[in-house]
Amino acid sequence: MTNATNQPGAGDIEPQDGLVSELRRDGDLIMTGAAGYVDDLPLGHVAHAAILRSPHPHARIVAIDVEKVKAARNVLAVLTGDDLVGMVNPLPHLFDPKIFGLPTAEFYALATEKVRWVGEPVAAVAAETLADAERALDLIDVVYEEIPFVTDAVEAMARGAPKVFDHWEDNVLAMFPFEEGDVDAAIAASTHVIKDVISIQRFQAAPMECRGYVGDWTRGGKITIHASTQQPHQVRTKLSVTLGVTEANIRVVQPRVGGSFGLKFHGYQEESLVCLLSRLAGRPVKWLETRAESLLIGAREFRHEFRVGFEPNGRINGVHNRSIGNIGCLSTWGGWSMVYPNGMSFPGPYAIKNYKMESYGVVTNKAPWSGARGYGKESATLVIERIVDLVAKKIGMDAIDVRRVNFIASDQFPYWTRAKHLDSGDYQGALDQVVELSGYHEWRRVQRDRPADGPLLGVGVAFDLTPEGADASSLIRGHDTTTVRVSPNGAVSVLTGVTSSGTGNETSIAALVAREFGVHPSTVSVFQGDTDISPYGFGSFSGRSLVAGGGAGVLAAREIKDKLRTAASVLLEVEPGDVVFSDGQVRSAANPSRAMDFALLCEQIYSTSYVNPGLLEPQLEATCTYRPGNVTMVPDEHGRISPYPCFPYSAHVAVVEIDRETGYPRVIDYSCVHDSGTVISPKLVDSQLNGAIVMGIGGALYESQPFDDKGHPEALTFKQYLLPRATDLPTIRLGTQVTPSPFTLFGAKGAGESGVGGALASVAIAVNDALEPVGVTVHQLPLTPSRILDALLSSDVAR
Amino acid sequence: MTHQTPAPVSTVSVTVNGTRRTFVCEDRTLLVYAIRDNLDLKGTRVGCMNGDCGACTIKLDGQAVKSCLLLAASADGAEIVTLEGIAPPGQLSPLQKAMWEEDAFQCGFCVAGALFAAQELLDTHDDPDEEDIRKALIGNLCRCTGYEYMVEAVKSVARARRQGGTCDSSVD
Repeated sequence: MTNATNQPGAGDIEPQDGLVSELRRDGDLIMTGAAGYVDDLPLGHVAHAAILRSPHPHARIVAIDVEKVKAARNVLAVLTGDDLVGMVNPLPHLFDPKIFGLPTAEFYALATEKVRWVGEPVAAVAAETLADAERALDLIDVVYEEIPFVTDAVEAMARGAPKVFDHWEDNVLAMFPFEEGDVDAAIAASTHVIKDVISIQRFQAAPMECRGYVGDWTRGGKITIHASTQQPHQVRTKLSVTLGVTEANIRVVQPRVGGSFGLKFHGYQEESLVCLLSRLAGRPVKWLETRAESLLIGAREFRHEFRVGFEPNGRINGVHNRSIGNIGCLSTWGGWSMVYPNGMSFPGPYAIKNYKMESYGVVTNKAPWSGARGYGKESATLVIERIVDLVAKKIGMDAIDVRRVNFIASDQFPYWTRAKHLDSGDYQGALDQVVELSGYHEWRRVQRDRPADGPLLGVGVAFDLTPEGADASSLIRGHDTTTVRVSPNGAVSVLTGVTSSGTGNETSIAALVAREFGVHPSTVSVFQGDTDISPYGFGSFSGRSLVAGGGAGVLAAREIKDKLRTAASVLLEVEPGDVVFSDGQVRSAANPSRAMDFALLCEQIYSTSYVNPGLLEPQLEATCTYRPGNVTMVPDEHGRISPYPCFPYSAHVAVVEIDRETGYPRVIDYSCVHDSGTVISPKLVDSQLNGAIVMGIGGALYESQPFDDKGHPEALTFKQYLLPRATDLPTIRLGTQVTPSPFTLFGAKGAGESGVGGALASVAIAVNDALEPVGVTVHQLPLTPSRILDALLSSDVAR
Repeated sequence: MTHQTPAPVSTVSVTVNGTRRTFVCEDRTLLVYAIRDNLDLKGTRVGCMNGDCGACTIKLDGQAVKSCLLLAASADGAEIVTLEGIAPPGQLSPLQKAMWEEDAFQCGFCVAGALFAAQELLDTHDDPDEEDIRKALIGNLCRCTGYEYMVEAVKSVARARRQGGTCDSSVD
């Protein structure tokens, strides 16, 4: 262990000790319509924006004529790409590929010279009403010269393919290799070798609230933007660069957010467009993304080509995987970077000594990627688990036993792979628990005994190892900062740089801080998402908000607590070490009758410090930054790094039934056991897990953004982009295992992402398990009835 | 360029959350926008504008409907209940309370749909089972919860009603 950090260990809060059963904050406001999302806010005399988007996947912009728009009724402002050049700077990237030594490109908020994807912003209009703005778009004349395009990643890699960026050598943006041992030799020496492919489609986060921004550029030169975003501070920093306005004059406010799941990272064109339109219009300007616009945003489209060598006893000797990510066009949105975790997640929870994972990011003329829950890790889980299942099928061993043979054992932690320093865990224990919880062996019996002509029944097992807490060389960092402030009447304010997109971390952060002071959580207020109020922080992503923001809050609370303890020892005339905080009181442990209210102690400090000897300065405020341990950016002597500190995981069993006539698959039973380390709010974590599982089921069976042969996305509404509905799902059974992280302040590992990959994989495996008796497989997700039916119809056995 | 003629307008009167309200809107105005903009009730939300998600659900003349699929003018004379009016001010209905207690939502954006759809089920079924509940929620999308605790919340209201023998499920 080379990175045993200087951070306090998990013993700090006992796993059971931290549990709270507080109701989610603001539930009463949400239940009565007073929640206040970005479209709900009274922000003055607001004008409305609409964006003209490219109708072509690849074209040169020959001319744009906006004269008719300028004269149109109720139109307040219009912008094109040419207007922006010279007026503002290009948009900074969320992750600029050049920091990794990769090719890059410069983008303005509106296309200049060329459009490279259907939906790329070309012009923006602000008008009195949304209808006025949308009508105005029809009055803009754009002359395009269409040029050849490519939407398939494998075609885009071929010699002579149309180049998305003229100044690049080819369309390959990145190839991240992750390798240990000698995979070719290991596979060559193996008794069995399997070669296969599995592909995951383009599907996205689809929060119920689309993106939205309201920009207000006042005559005094100050900008306020209300943004449905995960990262208000980064929106501010990037707006400052784009607009040439000091960050001090920009305020970004994140109101309540209606879900995000990675879609609301920063780097979007509309963030600066609403500000620029506001300056021109002299009024606040609101832009709300339509569902069709939101469904443009891509993620996760990978094709995995793999080889695995293994022994009759199930031992996997070597795995080679070539992943080709169709990242759409490069943009300033950072989603392309999920090509990295897709690779670094290899080889999952298994102690495979020889592996080679090559993760490619290839640009095409599809809309770019933004973040999506799982961030490529779900894609890795899908292929790793598919490989394990194929190995099991080949040697006639239960896939559970193949995992048993290959798991990293619980006494091997911390455990190094190429780009992971795995913190802690009991993988076999979690699997055993879900086998029990799901009645796995009973399902296998049901499967064996079912009538030969009945519905096909499949059981799928998957294990989802989910690196969390990403610390990347950019404005995506693993640490965060929290201020705790205690007022004279004992009210506690927590101002934190982490945000909530609806996850509920504010509820848990309040509980953690309240616990330090021995007060009720209802006396603790949490403020997030306002750059004028919160300390600089990185918002929410990678399941890190509670670990980092909550950790910083605990540290800040402890700093204040030290002052309170000193003051209490003076006022109660006891030793500082004898002072305890509980039930809203501060008292002597030895002599509980020496006690005072927490509020009175605070009041005494503010009103009598400097007068009352022994009381320190009359200030109860502290700001702390917490960085989880276990992050290693500088390669060790073996060239290993660990950009993720935490590794929660989950074990899944899905049971799927398939109608032979229609190919319709249905998940009829689902169980999952997860380990997120120490859990602060069990109900909230379980609810996150349910959501992650259902997102994975959606990806396995329903959700997809296909493109037609003209390069147009085909899913423009939820009638084409199918989200799972309540009737598509069985009751989900959950179980919990707790192995605290030894590297974080209170042992939490993070929650929210683990489950997507496990559900994708377990359902895909279950479908293929159901198809096994008829001798066919399907390996292009989503596993739709038509794909399954095609497979069934191709089966000799079925005939 | 002022050749466009102003859109025709209508005067619409509705009873919303127990109060008579009259407003003027363009004939083409969708009911969801009239509720949000003319009546300033923001709990009725725009999620898809296509009747798919249910975030804009209201109760119109006793029936749960999606207000993005209706013209405001068509609601003239109707009685409307929105998310804000499910329970009297400062109170929560048993279902709202159960949704909170069971953690049946996360971001909260979609809750109107589930509340109105599930309440309609509870009002018409004495003892709904899980399948009934899931079917009742079919028209509503939630991306956060996987519906799991939503189903639990509806079950818990039905259970409490069975055990408590109370028939008044609309307001606590």
